[in-house]
Amino acid sequence: MAGPAALAPEPGREQLVGEVSAAAEAAGVRPGMRLGEALSRCPALALVPPDPVAVNDAWEDVLARLESVGAAVEPGAPGLACFDARGLRRLHGGTLDGVVAATRAALRRPARIGAGPSRFCALAGASRARARRAEIVAGADDLASEPVALLRHCEQTAHLPVVLERLGIATLGALAALPRAAVADRFGAPGLHARELALGRDTPLRPRTPGERVEESLTLPESASGPQLERALALLIDRLLARRDRRGRMVRAAVLSAVLVEGGTWRERVVFREATSDPARMRLALSGRLMTMPAPAEALRLAVDRFGPPPGASGALFSDGTQQRRGRLREAVRQARAAAGPDAALRVLETDPDSRVPERRALLTPYE
Amino acid sequence: MSRPRRLNLPAPARVTAGSDGRPVLVEGREVEAVRESWLVEDRWWTAAPLRRRYWEVLVAGGRNTVVFRDLEDGAWYEQASA
Repeated sequence: MAGPAALAPEPGREQLVGEVSAAAEAAGVRPGMRLGEALSRCPALALVPPDPVAVNDAWEDVLARLESVGAAVEPGAPGLACFDARGLRRLHGGTLDGVVAATRAALRRPARIGAGPSRFCALAGASRARARRAEIVAGADDLASEPVALLRHCEQTAHLPVVLERLGIATLGALAALPRAAVADRFGAPGLHARELALGRDTPLRPRTPGERVEESLTLPESASGPQLERALALLIDRLLARRDRRGRMVRAAVLSAVLVEGGTWRERVVFREATSDPARMRLALSGRLMTMPAPAEALRLAVDRFGPPPGASGALFSDGTQQRRGRLREAVRQARAAAGPDAALRVLETDPDSRVPERRALLTPYE
Repeated sequence: MSRPRRLNLPAPARVTAGSDGRPVLVEGREVEAVRESWLVEDRWWTAAPLRRRYWEVLVAGGRNTVVFRDLEDGAWYEQASA
């Protein structure tokens, strides 16, 4: 894309632009800027519609590739991932260069790689690195000349660069030189954290558990919204809960996404109040999010984002006969399936009961 | 895990129709009475439109059945729960 371009805000979200091209940046447009301000600074700005589902899929692919070299990866925003290279050296020739080479080979796409004693140092290294050469930022001394704009990459300190620049504190070295008490007095906890970062210190990495993809998707024959979409969601929940690879675990968080009829995609992450494998509760929590979908959908997808413990790990305080009966019924269904195959217990799910086309009214779906 | 299956899928039927399009024979049985007929048109805005002429008929032997003629390909089908 030759001209200035920026990622448009997602429908229904705050009107802030996303990533911006170099030409847009030269015109004064910054990521996270209000759309109105961005357009007034750069009237020729081209807005690229966001595709959060494709971004997430591509990012998941990148993280899986990093994990394939043995890295315990802490994912940041899409495009930014950190891992501790110390444990990997012996796997890849005993040097940091070996780890970097293995990482590049696994990624199979250009990437800027930085290394350092902390997450923030590595980030600073990556921001000054070129596509073919990794940069090492050894600590506070190497960070001193870096601009405070780097603090934008940390969620807690993302709002500070504008204020710091206005006060004439342009580099991390200048920030690190300020007295701790003065920083705390003026900026509070985020300021103290920014100062720690500028001194080359950071919180420990929190790597994710290497992924397993448990998801179900449904292509909708016609653009769906309202009750039809809710029925499609119910079907997806049933299918997800019936998956063997769930291994009886409850779902702590799920990601609901859709391909929209008007183009683009929509994505919502839902964290349940407590881990659950109860389809009714999942429907209740997820169907509310469907209302925020900006346009009818032509495909719907439900994925487990995080698993909870297996059921029974936290029992109820008082015994409930209904739960026991349901438990027995589930067990009976499991036994019937084990004996006669997965089709031993099915249920009829009404998808569009008022349709004039009979075969669209109901589906046979796994009983869960 | 098995995939969800649609219920009430139409099944091909052997139907002989009269000159006015009414079914006369269904699976070799004579049609004694036509109870109702209706037209279903849907997805006319897509590349795969759906156009069906349904007939609810009573065949010899007293069985009530619903058949339809697909107006796109001209084939006859029998369908439960129509």
